[in-house]
Amino acid sequence: MQKALESALTELVLGAPLAANDAEAFRAFLSRHGVTDDDARALVEQGLDRLLVYRSLVRDTLEHALEVAMPRAIARLGPLFDEYFSRFLAEHGPTTHYLRDVASEFLNFCEPLWANDGRIAPYLFDLARHEALRIVVAAAPPGQAEPDAALDLDAGLRFTEAARLVHYAYAVHELPDDVDDRTLPERRETHLFVYRGPDHRVRYLALTPLAASIVDHLLRGASLRRSLLAATAQHRTELSEAVLSGTARLLADLSERGAVLGPCRERLTPDGKPS
Amino acid sequence: MRKRSERDARTAHDTLAGVGLGLRWEFLEDVVDGPPLDVDFFEVSPENYMRRGGYYPAQLEKLRDRYRLVTHGLTLSIGATDPPDREYLTELRGEIARLGTPFHSDHLCFSSSGGRMLHDLLPLKFSEENVTRVADRARRVRDVLGVPFALENISYYAALGRPEMPEAEFVARVVERSEAGLLLDVNNVYVNSVNHGYDPYAFLRALPLDRVVEIHIAGHERRESGLIIDTHGAEVIDPVYDLLAYALERTGPVPVLLERDNDVPPLAVLLEEVARVRSVYSRVMRSLEPNHAESA
Repeated sequence: MQKALESALTELVLGAPLAANDAEAFRAFLSRHGVTDDDARALVEQGLDRLLVYRSLVRDTLEHALEVAMPRAIARLGPLFDEYFSRFLAEHGPTTHYLRDVASEFLNFCEPLWANDGRIAPYLFDLARHEALRIVVAAAPPGQAEPDAALDLDAGLRFTEAARLVHYAYAVHELPDDVDDRTLPERRETHLFVYRGPDHRVRYLALTPLAASIVDHLLRGASLRRSLLAATAQHRTELSEAVLSGTARLLADLSERGAVLGPCRERLTPDGKPS
Repeated sequence: MRKRSERDARTAHDTLAGVGLGLRWEFLEDVVDGPPLDVDFFEVSPENYMRRGGYYPAQLEKLRDRYRLVTHGLTLSIGATDPPDREYLTELRGEIARLGTPFHSDHLCFSSSGGRMLHDLLPLKFSEENVTRVADRARRVRDVLGVPFALENISYYAALGRPEMPEAEFVARVVERSEAGLLLDVNNVYVNSVNHGYDPYAFLRALPLDRVVEIHIAGHERRESGLIIDTHGAEVIDPVYDLLAYALERTGPVPVLLERDNDVPPLAVLLEEVARVRSVYSRVMRSLEPNHAESA
Protein backbone atom coordinates (compact mmCIF):
# COMPACT_ATOMS: atom_id res chain seq x y z
CA MET A 1 0.00 0.00 0.00
CA GLN A 2 2.76 2.45 1.03
CA LYS A 3 4.84 1.32 -1.93
CA ALA A 4 2.15 2.35 -4.43
CA LEU A 5 1.64 5.72 -2.71
CA GLU A 6 5.38 6.30 -2.48
CA SER A 7 5.84 5.46 -6.14
CA ALA A 8 2.97 7.76 -7.19
CA LEU A 9 4.24 10.72 -5.15
CA THR A 10 7.80 10.21 -6.39
CA GLU A 11 6.62 10.18 -10.00
CA LEU A 12 4.50 13.25 -9.36
CA VAL A 13 7.57 15.03 -8.04
CA LEU A 14 10.16 13.92 -10.59
CA GLY A 15 8.09 13.03 -13.65
CA ALA A 16 6.14 14.90 -16.31
CA PRO A 17 3.74 17.47 -14.87
CA LEU A 18 0.07 16.63 -14.27
CA ALA A 19 -2.57 19.32 -14.71
CA ALA A 20 -3.79 20.34 -11.25
CA ASN A 21 -7.42 20.62 -12.36
CA ASP A 22 -7.72 17.34 -14.28
CA ALA A 23 -9.17 14.92 -11.70
CA GLU A 24 -9.69 12.21 -14.30
CA ALA A 25 -6.03 12.24 -15.34
CA PHE A 26 -5.05 12.23 -11.65
CA ARG A 27 -7.24 9.15 -10.99
CA ALA A 28 -5.74 7.34 -13.97
CA PHE A 29 -2.23 8.27 -12.79
CA LEU A 30 -2.90 6.88 -9.31
CA SER A 31 -4.41 3.74 -10.75
CA ARG A 32 -1.30 3.20 -12.92
CA HIS A 33 0.79 3.23 -9.76
CA GLY A 34 -1.45 0.67 -8.06
CA VAL A 35 -2.92 3.06 -5.48
CA THR A 36 -6.06 1.50 -3.96
CA ASP A 37 -9.45 2.96 -4.86
CA ASP A 38 -10.01 4.25 -1.34
CA ASP A 39 -6.64 5.98 -1.15
CA ALA A 40 -7.13 7.39 -4.65
CA ARG A 41 -10.54 8.79 -3.66
CA ALA A 42 -8.99 10.44 -0.59
CA LEU A 43 -6.19 11.96 -2.67
CA VAL A 44 -8.58 13.27 -5.33
CA GLU A 45 -10.87 14.75 -2.62
CA GLN A 46 -7.87 16.46 -1.06
CA GLY A 47 -6.86 17.88 -4.44
CA LEU A 48 -3.66 17.58 -6.42
CA ASP A 49 -2.46 21.05 -5.36
CA ARG A 50 -1.38 19.85 -1.93
CA LEU A 51 0.75 17.03 -3.36
CA LEU A 52 2.25 19.37 -5.94
CA VAL A 53 3.82 21.36 -3.09
CA TYR A 54 6.31 18.50 -2.90
CA ARG A 55 7.07 18.84 -6.59
CA SER A 56 8.17 22.43 -6.13
CA LEU A 57 10.04 21.78 -2.86
CA VAL A 58 12.06 18.87 -4.23
CA ARG A 59 12.79 20.51 -7.57
CA ASP A 60 13.78 23.81 -5.95
CA THR A 61 16.25 22.06 -3.65
CA LEU A 62 17.86 20.09 -6.47
CA GLU A 63 17.95 23.04 -8.84
CA HIS A 64 19.59 25.16 -6.16
CA ALA A 65 22.25 22.47 -5.64
CA LEU A 66 23.05 22.61 -9.36
CA GLU A 67 23.07 26.41 -9.43
CA VAL A 68 25.60 26.46 -6.61
CA ALA A 69 27.80 23.94 -8.43
CA MET A 70 27.72 25.32 -11.99
CA PRO A 71 26.19 28.81 -12.12
CA ARG A 72 27.86 30.04 -15.31
CA ALA A 73 27.03 26.96 -17.37
CA ILE A 74 23.39 27.16 -16.25
CA ALA A 75 23.20 30.86 -17.11
CA ARG A 76 24.61 30.17 -20.58
CA LEU A 77 22.29 27.19 -21.16
CA GLY A 78 19.23 29.35 -20.44
CA PRO A 79 15.96 27.45 -21.08
CA LEU A 80 17.89 24.40 -22.25
CA PHE A 81 18.94 23.88 -18.65
CA ASP A 82 15.28 23.54 -17.59
CA GLU A 83 14.72 21.01 -20.36
CA TYR A 84 17.67 18.84 -19.36
CA PHE A 85 16.99 19.26 -15.64
CA SER A 86 13.48 17.90 -16.19
CA ARG A 87 14.80 15.05 -18.32
CA PHE A 88 17.37 14.18 -15.67
CA LEU A 89 14.73 14.04 -12.96
CA ALA A 90 12.26 12.07 -15.07
CA GLU A 91 14.66 9.60 -16.66
CA HIS A 92 17.34 9.13 -14.01
CA GLY A 93 16.93 11.23 -10.87
CA PRO A 94 19.49 11.80 -8.12
CA THR A 95 20.63 8.65 -6.35
CA THR A 96 23.06 10.18 -3.87
CA HIS A 97 22.54 10.99 -0.19
CA TYR A 98 24.77 14.01 -0.66
CA LEU A 99 23.43 17.12 -2.37
CA ARG A 100 26.97 18.11 -3.32
CA ASP A 101 27.13 15.05 -5.61
CA VAL A 102 23.95 15.80 -7.55
CA ALA A 103 25.78 17.99 -10.08
CA SER A 104 28.12 15.13 -11.01
CA GLU A 105 25.14 12.80 -11.49
CA PHE A 106 23.41 15.42 -13.62
CA LEU A 107 26.49 15.90 -15.83
CA ASN A 108 27.05 12.15 -16.23
CA PHE A 109 23.46 11.97 -17.47
CA CYS A 110 23.87 14.97 -19.81
CA GLU A 111 27.28 14.20 -21.32
CA PRO A 112 26.16 11.87 -24.14
CA LEU A 113 22.99 13.87 -24.76
CA TRP A 114 24.68 17.27 -25.05
CA ALA A 115 27.28 15.83 -27.42
CA ASN A 116 24.43 15.09 -29.85
CA ASP A 117 22.39 18.22 -29.29
CA GLY A 118 23.28 20.88 -31.85
CA ARG A 119 21.57 23.57 -29.75
CA ILE A 120 24.24 23.27 -27.06
CA ALA A 121 27.55 24.99 -27.73
CA PRO A 122 30.35 22.40 -27.78
CA TYR A 123 32.30 24.13 -25.00
CA LEU A 124 29.40 24.12 -22.50
CA PHE A 125 29.99 20.63 -21.21
CA ASP A 126 33.63 21.50 -20.50
CA LEU A 127 32.51 24.63 -18.65
CA ALA A 128 29.89 22.78 -16.60
CA ARG A 129 32.32 20.01 -15.68
CA HIS A 130 35.00 22.56 -14.83
CA GLU A 131 32.67 24.49 -12.51
CA ALA A 132 31.28 21.36 -10.84
CA LEU A 133 34.81 20.03 -10.25
CA ARG A 134 35.46 22.75 -7.68
CA ILE A 135 33.03 21.18 -5.18
CA VAL A 136 34.16 17.65 -6.05
CA VAL A 137 37.78 18.48 -5.26
CA ALA A 138 36.97 20.71 -2.28
CA ALA A 139 34.96 17.90 -0.69
CA ALA A 140 36.97 14.82 -1.73
CA PRO A 141 37.83 12.57 1.23
CA PRO A 142 41.41 12.91 2.48
CA GLY A 143 44.00 10.38 1.36
CA GLN A 144 46.41 8.45 3.53
CA ALA A 145 50.07 9.39 3.25
CA GLU A 146 52.49 6.52 2.69
CA PRO A 147 55.38 6.10 5.12
CA ASP A 148 58.37 8.18 4.06
CA ALA A 149 60.17 6.62 1.15
CA ALA A 150 62.43 7.86 -1.60
CA LEU A 151 61.14 8.44 -5.10
CA ASP A 152 61.80 5.31 -7.13
CA LEU A 153 61.49 4.82 -10.88
CA ASP A 154 59.82 1.46 -10.35
CA ALA A 155 57.31 2.67 -7.79
CA GLY A 156 54.05 4.46 -8.40
CA LEU A 157 52.99 7.70 -6.76
CA ARG A 158 50.18 8.18 -4.30
CA PHE A 159 48.23 11.34 -4.97
CA THR A 160 45.83 12.99 -2.58
CA GLU A 161 42.29 11.68 -3.20
CA ALA A 162 41.31 15.22 -4.05
CA ALA A 163 43.60 15.25 -7.12
CA ARG A 164 42.00 15.17 -10.56
CA LEU A 165 43.36 15.49 -14.08
CA VAL A 166 40.87 16.90 -16.57
CA HIS A 167 41.09 17.44 -20.30
CA TYR A 168 39.04 20.06 -22.11
CA ALA A 169 38.76 20.90 -25.79
CA TYR A 170 38.25 24.56 -24.84
CA ALA A 171 40.12 26.83 -22.44
CA VAL A 172 37.04 27.23 -20.24
CA HIS A 173 39.19 27.81 -17.16
CA GLU A 174 40.12 31.22 -18.59
CA LEU A 175 36.53 32.48 -18.78
CA PRO A 176 35.53 35.31 -16.41
CA ASP A 177 33.70 34.41 -13.18
CA ASP A 178 30.82 36.74 -13.98
CA VAL A 179 27.66 34.67 -14.60
CA ASP A 180 26.38 37.34 -17.02
CA ASP A 181 29.52 37.23 -19.15
CA ARG A 182 29.11 35.51 -22.53
CA THR A 183 32.70 35.54 -23.80
CA LEU A 184 33.40 32.43 -25.85
CA PRO A 185 36.36 30.34 -24.74
CA GLU A 186 39.27 29.77 -27.07
CA ARG A 187 39.26 26.36 -28.73
CA ARG A 188 42.49 25.00 -27.28
CA GLU A 189 43.34 21.57 -25.93
CA THR A 190 43.61 22.10 -22.17
CA HIS A 191 44.96 19.80 -19.46
CA LEU A 192 44.40 20.85 -15.87
CA PHE A 193 45.67 19.20 -12.75
CA VAL A 194 43.17 20.10 -10.02
CA TYR A 195 43.87 19.52 -6.35
CA ARG A 196 43.11 20.79 -2.86
CA GLY A 197 45.94 22.54 -1.09
CA PRO A 198 46.77 22.21 2.60
CA ASP A 199 44.81 25.45 3.12
CA HIS A 200 41.74 23.60 1.70
CA ARG A 201 41.61 25.86 -1.36
CA VAL A 202 41.03 24.26 -4.75
CA ARG A 203 43.90 24.98 -7.11
CA TYR A 204 44.38 24.46 -10.82
CA LEU A 205 47.64 23.80 -12.64
CA ALA A 206 47.78 23.85 -16.45
CA LEU A 207 50.00 21.06 -17.84
CA THR A 208 51.59 20.49 -21.23
CA PRO A 209 50.18 17.52 -23.16
CA LEU A 210 53.26 15.41 -22.34
CA ALA A 211 53.20 16.29 -18.63
CA ALA A 212 49.47 15.56 -18.55
CA SER A 213 50.11 12.17 -20.09
CA ILE A 214 52.75 11.30 -17.50
CA VAL A 215 50.49 12.40 -14.64
CA ASP A 216 47.59 10.51 -16.18
CA HIS A 217 49.55 7.24 -16.14
CA LEU A 218 50.75 7.91 -12.59
CA LEU A 219 47.20 8.59 -11.43
CA ARG A 220 46.15 5.25 -12.93
CA GLY A 221 48.74 3.51 -10.76
CA ALA A 222 51.64 2.98 -13.17
CA SER A 223 55.24 3.23 -11.97
CA LEU A 224 57.21 6.34 -12.81
CA ARG A 225 59.31 4.41 -15.35
CA ARG A 226 56.26 2.94 -17.09
CA SER A 227 54.53 6.36 -17.06
CA LEU A 228 57.50 8.07 -18.69
CA LEU A 229 57.89 5.38 -21.35
CA ALA A 230 54.19 5.27 -22.16
CA ALA A 231 53.77 9.04 -22.30
CA THR A 232 56.81 9.69 -24.48
CA ALA A 233 55.77 6.88 -26.85
CA GLN A 234 52.28 8.34 -27.02
CA HIS A 235 53.67 11.76 -27.93
CA ARG A 236 56.44 10.35 -30.14
CA THR A 237 59.05 12.11 -28.05
CA GLU A 238 62.39 10.84 -26.85
CA LEU A 239 62.83 10.16 -23.18
CA SER A 240 65.51 12.82 -23.02
CA GLU A 241 67.34 14.40 -20.13
CA ALA A 242 65.09 17.43 -20.53
CA VAL A 243 61.96 15.26 -20.12
CA LEU A 244 63.43 13.56 -17.06
CA SER A 245 64.47 16.77 -15.35
CA GLY A 246 61.17 18.45 -16.26
CA THR A 247 59.25 15.54 -14.76
CA ALA A 248 61.37 15.63 -11.61
CA ARG A 249 60.64 19.36 -11.22
CA LEU A 250 56.91 18.82 -11.79
CA LEU A 251 56.66 16.01 -9.24
CA ALA A 252 58.68 17.96 -6.68
CA ASP A 253 56.32 20.89 -7.22
CA LEU A 254 53.22 18.69 -6.83
CA SER A 255 54.70 17.18 -3.69
CA GLU A 256 55.37 20.62 -2.26
CA ARG A 257 51.80 21.62 -3.02
CA GLY A 258 50.54 18.61 -1.03
CA ALA A 259 49.06 16.93 -4.11
CA VAL A 260 51.52 14.03 -4.12
CA LEU A 261 51.71 12.12 -0.85
CA GLY A 262 54.66 9.87 -1.67
CA PRO A 263 55.71 6.71 -3.49
CA CYS A 264 53.53 3.62 -3.51
CA ARG A 265 53.52 0.17 -5.03
CA GLU A 266 52.63 0.11 -8.72
CA ARG A 267 49.01 -0.96 -9.24
CA LEU A 268 48.70 -3.33 -12.18
CA THR A 269 45.75 -5.22 -13.59
CA PRO A 270 46.10 -9.03 -13.94
CA ASP A 271 47.26 -8.54 -17.55
CA GLY A 272 50.13 -6.35 -16.39
CA LYS A 273 48.63 -2.96 -17.27
CA PRO A 274 48.24 -0.05 -14.88
CA SER A 275 44.87 -0.37 -13.09
CA MET B 1 9.73 -1.13 34.59
CA ARG B 2 10.92 0.12 31.22
CA LYS B 3 13.19 -1.90 29.01
CA ARG B 4 16.81 -0.80 28.70
CA SER B 5 16.42 0.59 25.16
CA GLU B 6 13.53 2.78 26.30
CA ARG B 7 15.59 4.16 29.14
CA ASP B 8 18.48 4.77 26.73
CA ALA B 9 16.29 6.80 24.41
CA ARG B 10 14.79 8.86 27.20
CA THR B 11 17.96 9.40 29.18
CA ALA B 12 20.18 10.18 26.20
CA HIS B 13 19.31 13.83 26.59
CA ASP B 14 20.75 13.81 30.12
CA THR B 15 24.12 14.33 28.51
CA LEU B 16 22.71 17.21 26.47
CA ALA B 17 20.84 20.07 28.03
CA GLY B 18 19.81 23.66 27.58
CA VAL B 19 19.39 25.53 24.33
CA GLY B 20 21.23 24.76 21.11
CA LEU B 21 21.49 26.07 17.59
CA GLY B 22 21.48 24.28 14.23
CA LEU B 23 24.96 24.60 12.73
CA ARG B 24 25.12 26.41 9.39
CA TRP B 25 28.14 27.05 7.22
CA GLU B 26 27.15 30.72 7.03
CA PHE B 27 28.40 31.23 10.59
CA LEU B 28 30.65 28.22 11.11
CA GLU B 29 33.82 30.31 11.08
CA ASP B 30 32.42 32.79 13.63
CA VAL B 31 31.55 29.93 15.97
CA VAL B 32 34.86 28.12 15.58
CA ASP B 33 37.16 31.14 15.81
CA GLY B 34 35.07 33.57 17.86
CA PRO B 35 34.62 33.97 21.61
CA PRO B 36 32.56 31.38 23.53
CA LEU B 37 28.85 31.74 22.83
CA ASP B 38 25.85 31.32 25.07
CA VAL B 39 24.83 28.20 23.16
CA ASP B 40 24.78 24.86 24.98
CA PHE B 41 25.17 22.64 21.93
CA PHE B 42 25.12 22.63 18.15
CA GLU B 43 23.14 20.29 15.98
CA VAL B 44 24.83 18.96 12.85
CA SER B 45 23.44 17.38 9.69
CA PRO B 46 25.89 14.50 9.26
CA GLU B 47 25.28 14.25 5.50
CA ASN B 48 27.10 17.57 5.13
CA TYR B 49 30.28 16.04 6.55
CA MET B 50 30.15 12.33 5.73
CA ARG B 51 32.50 10.95 3.03
CA ARG B 52 34.05 14.35 2.85
CA GLY B 53 37.41 15.99 3.39
CA GLY B 54 38.53 19.59 3.24
CA TYR B 55 37.57 22.76 5.03
CA TYR B 56 34.21 21.96 6.61
CA PRO B 57 35.11 18.67 8.33
CA ALA B 58 38.30 20.34 9.57
CA GLN B 59 36.26 23.18 11.08
CA LEU B 60 33.83 20.71 12.62
CA GLU B 61 36.75 18.94 14.31
CA LYS B 62 37.68 22.23 15.97
CA LEU B 63 34.08 22.92 16.94
CA ARG B 64 33.81 19.51 18.59
CA ASP B 65 36.52 20.55 21.02
CA ARG B 66 34.52 23.64 22.06
CA TYR B 67 30.86 22.59 22.11
CA ARG B 68 28.65 19.54 22.50
CA LEU B 69 27.36 18.25 19.18
CA VAL B 70 24.30 16.21 18.33
CA THR B 71 23.53 14.74 14.90
CA HIS B 72 20.25 15.13 13.06
CA GLY B 73 20.05 13.36 9.72
CA LEU B 74 18.19 14.29 6.56
CA THR B 75 18.30 11.28 4.25
CA LEU B 76 17.82 8.14 6.32
CA SER B 77 14.38 7.73 4.70
CA ILE B 78 13.13 5.55 7.53
CA GLY B 79 9.69 5.16 5.96
CA ALA B 80 10.84 4.18 2.46
CA THR B 81 9.95 0.78 1.08
CA ASP B 82 13.41 0.36 -0.48
CA PRO B 83 15.76 -1.72 1.69
CA PRO B 84 17.86 0.40 4.09
CA ASP B 85 21.06 1.72 2.50
CA ARG B 86 23.75 -0.29 4.29
CA GLU B 87 26.63 1.79 2.98
CA TYR B 88 25.00 5.00 4.19
CA LEU B 89 24.29 3.50 7.60
CA THR B 90 27.90 2.34 7.94
CA GLU B 91 29.17 5.81 7.04
CA LEU B 92 26.67 7.37 9.43
CA ARG B 93 27.74 5.11 12.26
CA GLY B 94 31.35 6.22 11.73
CA GLU B 95 30.40 9.90 11.69
CA ILE B 96 28.31 9.53 14.84
CA ALA B 97 31.22 7.86 16.62
CA ARG B 98 33.62 10.54 15.40
CA LEU B 99 31.44 13.38 16.68
CA GLY B 100 30.53 11.69 19.96
CA THR B 101 26.83 12.50 19.63
CA PRO B 102 24.71 11.25 22.56
CA PHE B 103 21.90 10.20 20.20
CA HIS B 104 20.98 10.44 16.55
CA SER B 105 17.70 11.54 15.07
CA ASP B 106 16.03 11.69 11.68
CA HIS B 107 12.54 12.30 10.34
CA LEU B 108 9.44 10.12 10.33
CA CYS B 109 8.98 10.27 6.57
CA PHE B 110 10.30 8.86 3.31
CA SER B 111 12.85 10.71 1.19
CA SER B 112 13.83 8.09 -1.35
CA SER B 113 12.04 5.67 -3.63
CA GLY B 114 13.21 3.14 -6.19
CA GLY B 115 16.83 4.15 -5.58
CA ARG B 116 16.15 7.85 -6.20
CA MET B 117 16.87 10.39 -3.47
CA LEU B 118 14.39 13.23 -3.21
CA HIS B 119 16.22 15.40 -0.68
CA ASP B 120 13.00 16.39 1.05
CA LEU B 121 10.74 14.96 3.74
CA LEU B 122 7.70 13.27 2.20
CA PRO B 123 4.76 11.97 4.24
CA LEU B 124 3.80 8.41 5.06
CA LYS B 125 0.28 7.07 5.12
CA PHE B 126 -0.93 6.93 8.72
CA SER B 127 -1.62 3.20 8.54
CA GLU B 128 -1.29 0.08 10.68
CA GLU B 129 1.01 -1.38 8.06
CA ASN B 130 3.37 1.57 8.33
CA VAL B 131 3.37 1.58 12.14
CA THR B 132 4.67 -1.99 12.14
CA ARG B 133 7.01 -1.66 9.17
CA VAL B 134 8.60 1.66 10.13
CA ALA B 135 8.94 0.77 13.80
CA ASP B 136 10.71 -2.48 12.95
CA ARG B 137 13.01 -0.61 10.61
CA ALA B 138 13.75 2.04 13.25
CA ARG B 139 14.78 -0.67 15.71
CA ARG B 140 17.18 -2.15 13.18
CA VAL B 141 18.64 1.28 12.42
CA ARG B 142 19.23 1.95 16.11
CA ASP B 143 21.05 -1.37 16.44
CA VAL B 144 23.33 -0.50 13.51
CA LEU B 145 24.06 3.04 14.67
CA GLY B 146 25.04 2.02 18.17
CA VAL B 147 23.52 5.08 19.86
CA PRO B 148 19.94 5.86 20.97
CA PHE B 149 17.77 6.88 18.06
CA ALA B 150 14.91 9.38 17.85
CA LEU B 151 12.30 10.22 15.23
CA GLU B 152 10.97 13.68 14.47
CA ASN B 153 7.35 14.51 13.62
CA ILE B 154 7.45 16.26 10.22
CA SER B 155 5.50 19.06 8.59
CA TYR B 156 3.34 17.63 5.83
CA TYR B 157 1.23 19.36 3.23
CA ALA B 158 -0.93 16.46 2.05
CA ALA B 159 -2.21 13.31 3.71
CA LEU B 160 -0.87 10.39 1.69
CA GLY B 161 -4.01 8.30 1.13
CA ARG B 162 -6.91 7.72 3.54
CA PRO B 163 -5.51 7.91 7.10
CA GLU B 164 -6.33 4.91 9.27
CA MET B 165 -5.57 6.88 12.41
CA PRO B 166 -4.84 10.49 13.40
CA GLU B 167 -1.29 11.79 12.88
CA ALA B 168 -0.57 12.01 16.63
CA GLU B 169 -1.56 8.37 17.13
CA PHE B 170 0.64 7.35 14.19
CA VAL B 171 3.66 9.19 15.60
CA ALA B 172 3.01 7.84 19.10
CA ARG B 173 2.63 4.25 17.99
CA VAL B 174 5.75 4.27 15.81
CA VAL B 175 7.99 5.64 18.55
CA GLU B 176 6.47 3.39 21.19
CA ARG B 177 6.69 0.25 19.10
CA SER B 178 10.25 1.05 17.97
CA GLU B 179 11.27 2.13 21.48
CA ALA B 180 12.73 5.25 19.87
CA GLY B 181 12.93 8.69 21.37
CA LEU B 182 10.66 11.43 20.07
CA LEU B 183 12.21 14.56 18.63
CA LEU B 184 9.29 16.93 19.02
CA ASP B 185 9.24 19.77 16.49
CA VAL B 186 6.76 22.31 17.83
CA ASN B 187 6.92 24.39 14.65
CA ASN B 188 5.88 21.33 12.67
CA VAL B 189 2.98 20.83 15.09
CA TYR B 190 1.93 24.43 14.52
CA VAL B 191 2.33 24.24 10.71
CA ASN B 192 0.30 21.03 10.50
CA SER B 193 -2.37 22.35 12.86
CA VAL B 194 -2.97 25.30 10.52
CA ASN B 195 -2.66 23.38 7.26
CA HIS B 196 -4.85 20.49 8.41
CA GLY B 197 -7.10 22.37 10.83
CA TYR B 198 -6.57 20.81 14.24
CA ASP B 199 -5.85 21.93 17.81
CA PRO B 200 -2.05 21.85 18.32
CA TYR B 201 -2.43 21.56 22.11
CA ALA B 202 -4.67 18.51 21.79
CA PHE B 203 -2.09 17.10 19.38
CA LEU B 204 0.68 17.56 21.96
CA ARG B 205 -1.41 15.92 24.67
CA ALA B 206 -1.92 12.90 22.41
CA LEU B 207 1.83 12.32 22.08
CA PRO B 208 3.95 10.22 24.47
CA LEU B 209 5.76 13.27 25.86
CA ASP B 210 7.75 11.11 28.25
CA ARG B 211 9.64 9.94 25.15
CA VAL B 212 10.75 13.40 24.06
CA VAL B 213 14.56 13.62 23.91
CA GLU B 214 14.81 17.01 22.20
CA ILE B 215 12.54 19.79 20.99
CA HIS B 216 13.00 21.72 17.74
CA ILE B 217 11.71 25.22 17.20
CA ALA B 218 11.84 27.21 13.94
CA GLY B 219 10.14 29.74 11.71
CA HIS B 220 7.99 29.18 8.65
CA GLU B 221 6.49 30.97 5.66
CA ARG B 222 2.83 31.58 4.83
CA ARG B 223 2.02 31.38 1.13
CA GLU B 224 -0.70 33.35 -0.68
CA SER B 225 -2.88 30.23 -0.74
CA GLY B 226 -2.84 30.30 3.07
CA LEU B 227 -0.72 27.16 3.22
CA ILE B 228 2.20 27.35 5.64
CA ILE B 229 5.53 25.93 4.53
CA ASP B 230 8.12 24.81 7.05
CA THR B 231 11.00 26.79 5.54
CA HIS B 232 13.17 27.37 8.61
CA GLY B 233 13.66 30.71 6.93
CA ALA B 234 12.08 33.22 9.32
CA GLU B 235 11.91 34.17 13.00
CA VAL B 236 9.92 31.99 15.35
CA ILE B 237 6.43 33.41 15.92
CA ASP B 238 4.69 33.81 19.28
CA PRO B 239 2.17 30.94 18.91
CA VAL B 240 5.12 28.57 18.37
CA TYR B 241 6.86 29.92 21.50
CA ASP B 242 3.60 29.25 23.37
CA LEU B 243 3.62 25.67 22.13
CA LEU B 244 7.24 25.32 23.23
CA ALA B 245 6.35 26.46 26.75
CA TYR B 246 3.36 24.12 26.86
CA ALA B 247 5.48 21.18 25.72
CA LEU B 248 8.33 21.95 28.14
CA GLU B 249 5.89 22.13 31.06
CA ARG B 250 5.08 18.49 30.29
CA THR B 251 8.48 17.13 29.27
CA GLY B 252 10.66 18.84 31.84
CA PRO B 253 14.22 19.90 30.98
CA VAL B 254 14.87 18.40 27.55
CA PRO B 255 17.30 20.17 25.18
CA VAL B 256 15.73 22.70 22.84
CA LEU B 257 17.18 23.56 19.45
CA LEU B 258 16.62 26.61 17.25
CA GLU B 259 16.73 25.76 13.53
CA ARG B 260 17.43 28.31 10.82
CA ASP B 261 18.27 26.95 7.38
CA ASN B 262 17.22 29.64 4.90
CA ASP B 263 17.75 33.40 4.78
CA VAL B 264 20.21 32.87 7.59
CA PRO B 265 20.81 36.20 9.38
CA PRO B 266 24.10 37.23 11.01
CA LEU B 267 25.07 35.14 14.00
CA ALA B 268 24.36 38.03 16.41
CA VAL B 269 20.72 38.07 15.29
CA LEU B 270 20.41 34.32 15.70
CA LEU B 271 21.91 34.57 19.18
CA GLU B 272 19.19 37.03 20.15
CA GLU B 273 16.65 34.44 19.10
CA VAL B 274 18.53 31.76 21.04
CA ALA B 275 18.33 34.07 24.06
CA ARG B 276 14.56 34.34 23.65
CA VAL B 277 14.24 30.54 23.46
CA ARG B 278 16.38 30.35 26.59
CA SER B 279 14.15 32.80 28.44
CA VAL B 280 11.11 30.60 27.71
CA TYR B 281 13.08 27.53 28.71
CA SER B 282 14.29 29.08 31.99
CA ARG B 283 10.85 30.45 32.89
CA VAL B 284 9.25 27.03 32.43
CA MET B 285 12.03 25.24 34.34
CA ARG B 286 11.67 27.69 37.24
CA SER B 287 7.93 27.06 37.29
CA LEU B 288 8.58 23.33 37.54
CA GLU B 289 10.78 23.64 40.65
CA PRO B 290 9.02 22.01 43.65
CA ASN B 291 9.05 25.15 45.81
CA HIS B 292 8.10 27.47 42.98
CA ALA B 293 4.53 28.04 44.23
CA GLU B 294 5.70 28.91 47.75
CA SER B 295 8.44 31.28 46.65
CA ALA B 296 6.34 33.01 44.01
